[in-house]
Amino acid sequence: MAKEAAYVPNILRQGRWVPWLYLGPALILMSIFILYPGLNTLYLSFRNQNGSDWAYTTCLAGQPCWGIFENYRYALTSSIMRTAFGNNLKWILFMVSGTVLLGLLIATLADRVRYEALAKAIIFMPMAISFVGAGVIWKFVYDYGSSQVQIGLLNALITSLGGRPVSWLTEPQINTLALIVVGIWMWTGFCMTVLSAAIKGVPAELLEAARVDGANEWTVFWQIRVPLILPTIAVVITTMIINVLKIFDIVYVMTGGNYGTEVIANRLYIEMYTSYNTGRAAAIAMVLTVIIIPAIIFNIRRFRAQEAMR
Amino acid sequence: MSKRLWKVIVVLAGLALLIAACAPAATPTQAPTQPPAEPTQPPAQPTQPPAEPTQPPASGIDCMGAKPGDELTMLYQWSGQEEARLNEILKPLVDACGIVIKPESTRDQALLDTKVQAGTPPDIAFWNVAQLVQYQDKLVPMDVLGAHRENYADFFVQPGTINGKWLGLPVKADIKTIIWYSPAVFKAKGYTVPTTWEELDALVEKMVANGDVPWSMGFESGDATGWTGSDFIQDILLVKQGPQYVLDIIDGKVPYNDAGVKEAYEIYGKWAKDPKYTVGGAQGTLSTGFLDAIYKVFSDPPEAMMVRQSGFAGGEIARKYPDLVYGEDYDFFMVPGAKGLQGGADWMMAFRDTPAVRALVAYLSSDLGGANWAKAGFDLSPNKGATGNYTDPSLLKKGEMLANTQGFTPDIGDTIPGGFGKAEWTGIIEFINGTKDLDTVLAEIARVQAEALGK
Repeated sequence: MAKEAAYVPNILRQGRWVPWLYLGPALILMSIFILYPGLNTLYLSFRNQNGSDWAYTTCLAGQPCWGIFENYRYALTSSIMRTAFGNNLKWILFMVSGTVLLGLLIATLADRVRYEALAKAIIFMPMAISFVGAGVIWKFVYDYGSSQVQIGLLNALITSLGGRPVSWLTEPQINTLALIVVGIWMWTGFCMTVLSAAIKGVPAELLEAARVDGANEWTVFWQIRVPLILPTIAVVITTMIINVLKIFDIVYVMTGGNYGTEVIANRLYIEMYTSYNTGRAAAIAMVLTVIIIPAIIFNIRRFRAQEAMR
Repeated sequence: MSKRLWKVIVVLAGLALLIAACAPAATPTQAPTQPPAEPTQPPAQPTQPPAEPTQPPASGIDCMGAKPGDELTMLYQWSGQEEARLNEILKPLVDACGIVIKPESTRDQALLDTKVQAGTPPDIAFWNVAQLVQYQDKLVPMDVLGAHRENYADFFVQPGTINGKWLGLPVKADIKTIIWYSPAVFKAKGYTVPTTWEELDALVEKMVANGDVPWSMGFESGDATGWTGSDFIQDILLVKQGPQYVLDIIDGKVPYNDAGVKEAYEIYGKWAKDPKYTVGGAQGTLSTGFLDAIYKVFSDPPEAMMVRQSGFAGGEIARKYPDLVYGEDYDFFMVPGAKGLQGGADWMMAFRDTPAVRALVAYLSSDLGGANWAKAGFDLSPNKGATGNYTDPSLLKKGEMLANTQGFTPDIGDTIPGGFGKAEWTGIIEFINGTKDLDTVLAEIARVQAEALGK
């Protein structure tokens, strides 16, 4: 009784407007930097190339036309965007599985060696390099010389073994995979670090108990470790999916989206800054946002579930 | 007590410093609020303070009523040595009229766009021809500003004339319709410089028969990859169809998938895809950097005999191989049979009508302006006053070509707005890479052309 009667300043009481006061700064910032640009992008996606008129004015006679959604027709059905969707799918399949599996493998193996810190530092190192820097480095690795001398590391290896040099970045089929390898090289360190922390969180008693009961290491890994760190794996996967959907730098630096390596974010950039078509760029941005939203929702739900468990 | 006093003193001192620091910066911003001086003012200004230098001492520069201290804001893409040359060209004007030039240099077009959209454009911008179309409602026509029309050939006025208004003045040009080669190597191998397209074709076949690779081609140029291909194809169009055809493509009168364009692609593709005709074949063409492609012709031994590249290649050769001598070890000839030149020009456009702007326009378009441009050696000047005033031998030769040409066409891809240029490059890459057949590629580019031109 006496405790409840203690003096509480008015401002700390949960009133009608006090929560808004606390939320205010965040709301204002979010409105200025997220809400307003977001709504304006949505509006611009229905406008023409410079926002001066509605999108249907860009329709051509005798061509298919989606009226005010004309920019979305481009963003969803044009051949270059279909290439981009296909490539983003490839990126998700190969890069997410590559980084997560490699990260898990390295985290597990590193857990058992004395020089763990050193090994993990080396794997993590590429994360410290800027994407553009990594793109330039790998562009040299993949360099293809049309003459006898190969200054590209990979082609120098191949020719010294008697093979024929490959133009890694221009050959369709190979080039997107070559770019994905760069992505995996950069992001494995991130997955490894997060997964390693989760692995270390698995109680040693559980592992001991299983081993005492006669489980071999393979069983311990799949039956005990992996199920216990599954929530973390899920978060890593969704984070990587979001990252990969937004992939831009590597493609922009290494191929500029040419030779069939186009991805959604690079197309967005080209429409905006090379073609000066804000309508199309805005439509692509909206499409990209809509694709990413489910991954974000999933991620937040997982995060909340994890918080609730603590 | 004394501690507090000190605090107060420190704060006051800080404030005083702040105010002092801000004050001088604030004054110049008042200048632009001046109303533009009436154009009817006589050039002589009797009301001027005595500090004014007595009118142009036979410098031949008309200040158009600009007063000493008048500011002129400029935006251009030049930097370093280019900027130094521009300053050299503008110095007589600055000296004669006392105009204060406030330049800004950037390669980022977004800066120009932002400034214009914000309502604070530079007085003068030196930019691309596409901006004349983009800003046609905001630019002041050149004839209003007193430009000397008589110093420019029709084909230099035409691209700058948008919907009947003469909005842009080409100040600097570089010609692209040229092929670089090594006279020494040609002599040693018994090749002669071709003068017709048929001779070029025969020469190429002769080189192949001798086991030499005729062409060095290189597309790679970051996110602009493919432009060397589109340049070459435009030259073939100039040979086979002539300048009017190219201008019709730019206008949209000729669709990009016309038979003439297809023929040019086929001629180009025959060379660019085959390792007998170009270093490394299709993959070599795609993955070689455009600068490396130039070097390959002048390496020892040369990997190829010729490279088709714009005027800037000469500077690149000199930088890479400082021992080579122009005219002996490297030289160029015009693409034989071309009925016009392809070239890039930097266009001067005016967003405001002030005496200082008028003075600049009048000066640069005058005989003197052209001559000074040529003497500074800042590429070529389309101004007729430039002819014969170049000092650099290669510029002299290029200036000759420019003075004698029957047509001058801007880059198709740069001129058609709305992503056409990128679509053209992408199409050429796909064609060379063999990922799409030619008809599909051309139809796709033609579709973008129609979209961009609204036809």
